[in-house]
Amino acid sequence: MRDARPAVFETVKDEPLVRVVGLSKQYVQRRGLGRRAFGLVAFEDVHLAIHRGRTLAIVGESGAGKSTLAKCLALLEKPTAGEIWFEGKNLFARGDRRGRLAMHRHVQLIFQDPTTALNPRFTAEEIITEPLVIQKMGTKDARRLRAQELMEQVGLPARSAAKRPLEFSGGQRQRLAIARALALEPKLLILDEALSSLDLVNQQTILKLLADLRETHSLTYIHISHDLRAVAEFADDVAVMSERRIVEQKPAAELFAHPEHPDTQALFAAMPSLESIYQRRLA
Amino acid sequence: MKSRRKLWGALILLAVFHALILFAGFFAPYGFAVQDREMPFAPPTRLHFTDARGKVHLRPFVYGLKDDPANPGAYVADTSELYPLRFFVRGAPYKVAGLIESRLHLVGVEGDGRLFLMGTDGYGRDQLSRFLYGGQISLLAGLLAAALSVFLGVVIGALAGFYGGWIDELLMRGSEIFLALPWLYLLFAVRAALPLHIAEWQVFLLLVAVMGLIGWARPARMIRGVVLSAKERKFVLAARGFGASDAHLLFQHVLPQTYGVVFTQIALLIPQYVLAEVTLSFLGLGVGEPMASWGTLLSSLQQYYVLSSYWWMFLPALLLIPLFLGYYTMADALQERLKSVSL
Amino acid sequence: MRYLARRFVHAILLLLAVSFFSFALLQLAPGDFFDEMRLNPQISERTVEAIRAQYGLDRPLPVRYERWLGAMLKGNLGYSMATNSAVAPLLRVRARNTLLLSGTATALAWLLALPLGVWSAAKRGALGDRIGALATSAILTIPDMLLFLGLLLLAARTGWFPTGGMVSPGIGEANFWSRAKDIAFHLVLPAAGLALVMTPVLMRHVRAAMTEALDSPFIRAARGHGISRGRVLFRYALPAASNSLISLLGFSVATMLSTSMLAEVVLSWPGLGPLLVESIFSRDVYVVVAVVMLSSVFLVMGNLIADLLLFVSDPRIRLENE
Repeated sequence: MRDARPAVFETVKDEPLVRVVGLSKQYVQRRGLGRRAFGLVAFEDVHLAIHRGRTLAIVGESGAGKSTLAKCLALLEKPTAGEIWFEGKNLFARGDRRGRLAMHRHVQLIFQDPTTALNPRFTAEEIITEPLVIQKMGTKDARRLRAQELMEQVGLPARSAAKRPLEFSGGQRQRLAIARALALEPKLLILDEALSSLDLVNQQTILKLLADLRETHSLTYIHISHDLRAVAEFADDVAVMSERRIVEQKPAAELFAHPEHPDTQALFAAMPSLESIYQRRLA
Repeated sequence: MKSRRKLWGALILLAVFHALILFAGFFAPYGFAVQDREMPFAPPTRLHFTDARGKVHLRPFVYGLKDDPANPGAYVADTSELYPLRFFVRGAPYKVAGLIESRLHLVGVEGDGRLFLMGTDGYGRDQLSRFLYGGQISLLAGLLAAALSVFLGVVIGALAGFYGGWIDELLMRGSEIFLALPWLYLLFAVRAALPLHIAEWQVFLLLVAVMGLIGWARPARMIRGVVLSAKERKFVLAARGFGASDAHLLFQHVLPQTYGVVFTQIALLIPQYVLAEVTLSFLGLGVGEPMASWGTLLSSLQQYYVLSSYWWMFLPALLLIPLFLGYYTMADALQERLKSVSL
Repeated sequence: MRYLARRFVHAILLLLAVSFFSFALLQLAPGDFFDEMRLNPQISERTVEAIRAQYGLDRPLPVRYERWLGAMLKGNLGYSMATNSAVAPLLRVRARNTLLLSGTATALAWLLALPLGVWSAAKRGALGDRIGALATSAILTIPDMLLFLGLLLLAARTGWFPTGGMVSPGIGEANFWSRAKDIAFHLVLPAAGLALVMTPVLMRHVRAAMTEALDSPFIRAARGHGISRGRVLFRYALPAASNSLISLLGFSVATMLSTSMLAEVVLSWPGLGPLLVESIFSRDVYVVVAVVMLSSVFLVMGNLIADLLLFVSDPRIRLENE
């Protein structure tokens, strides 16, 4: 088994924003009164390095454990083994619960389906300001202003602040989710198949929005996707996940040009024109 | 939509009914304990507009009643005296909601006239007044007990559903025990365990407490179900991602999902509990004389001669129908809305 | 098989918990039968204590519970201090009467509700269905007590039916058939009243279960294949709804001892209901507790039977639990 330690460690010199070392997640299910317990492995021995200002795409077929990995990275689930280092600090060090709570300000997750990720009873403004309310930041008026700012930044009209999610279109709902994620000024944004539920036109517009935001907000992205086209257009580095492990990780250009692992090759076999898309982007 | 109209119709009906009961003192011509020993089992007073001489009066009036010499125990109208109906009269004092005193009554007649719009019982007490005052007991008991049951159901169901694990196991096993006991029998048994002759307000509170404390099991299970599915929603997970505390998640996101079930349960439990109080009082196990409760009003019907000769003693029971209609319609409409929202 | 055993054990444990609960209730009664006795100046305090000891009322709680439970399981349900007889035979007679009434009423209710419910689900939205819905709502909003009182009034005014009791006086000597006819005659009013009260609820549930079954995609596919309406209704939809219907049946059986309480009291049917009420007034706590326990046993057993029937009839439940 080829060493999964990513080559990215060597090519980019400065300290990565996030380092994931040997991360594993296993679910233990109990049957009956604790008699038979069997484990379900979501992912195993994952090593990743995510560099500031770059986009790491994690690709692989569905069911390879990508979503669970995303949740662990966003601290929504606890891994059963391994470490996550954020800005040089070990997140799961003993007694650092407070540090982990503060982490929520730095890492945010955008879900695949914005309709279920937004409470249908809340107004747009309430949705965007909820993170601020939870973290007890700002006064009511300050929060309202911030909501309007954010809505503008994601391209939503400010007057729809009182509308409820169902009154928006699918693409607009995802914008709303992005605006909410930006409320706490995170450094890292994890996009868990954030484009999959949108139609192609919306996918393009949201991708463009994300690219713009990356510049204006100095964001780093982890983009989890099974859509290789979008990855080709958007990613700087790519990690391939197969059978619950990271099998290959390289800068995008290299990966598209010379996929090494057989699973990666199989993945790309379905899309022969990937390299040309990537080349077009560089041009 | 039809369910919205249904809901509003039911709410208006209920509001009117409850207003009548709340301001019983105002709407009732007499107090609930006022006896007229000369008029036991008097039939409902007829309102007339035309007198014996054929003259039409704009203001309705009533005749006095005198004993019917041909029929002992029956009455016949005494057309010699007219008693016009007066509105907004000053009568016996009463307290609104136990706080504000007033002497204003909606209707009344003066002098020797009697206004028994629903007849009288064996002690000559006006049944209409007793119905209105009785509502204060029976309806309030039902409302309080239903609120208690649902409140307990929300607390227990939410805790069990949200935290799961051993808390869930423990609470749900407990609810099973309560559900394994037939509700009405249990109510009676608990009532049996309590002293028979205690002060009225104590009986009332005890009744409310017992009904409320026994009936939490079903609401708790329903609420637990809603909480279980609500806490898995992605927006709850998202809020966790902002560092939300359990309290925030519960109160902002999870519990609002239960409102539909909560209101439906309340609407279904109130008539059930009112009926239970009525049953207990009917059998003499609830609030006793001279306090009027709808049950005590109906209990005289257990005697054969009352049942067959004095039809107006049935009226309190008939008047319960609009109340139940209101609550059941409301529950129906709420259930319809719940179903259409969750689809 | 293991599933059934598990359900059975679960039921037993539940009943044990219920028994403890009932026993605790027993102890809660602040005034017991003997308070009355104590007030009687002719009976000395010592005599009262002696009788109490005879009933075992002076031992510590766990001991009393153990003895009570043991006695219960052996069939000795205690002593009715008011009637000065053993509780068990008293209960047996009353329970039999109650079952006669509620059994008849339940059977009647199902005979009405099942076809009506199925038919109104099949003809959903049609005039018949809407009339049916209106009728059930109308009956539901009338408080049970009013219905029973109304029936009583009917009996009193018309004299067609007896106004109470289970047997006419002096019938004891007649032959079996005369006695049976006499009982049946007395049964009509209470059973009819009870059935009238039960039917709307049952019919609504049957209709809901059938509607759900009829709405499922496979039914529509069957219609699309050209299978006739009647066949679809009886050979496809009804079996699909059977889960809910069996649970409903279990529930009907489970509540057979308790639903007839009000009817019995108002219409003077000598069942468990009036017994309970009398016992409360005479502070005859053993009877009260025995009645509660017995009806609880019925309830739990009824649910267990429903579970068993479901297990037998629905292969999915068998698969899930094997």
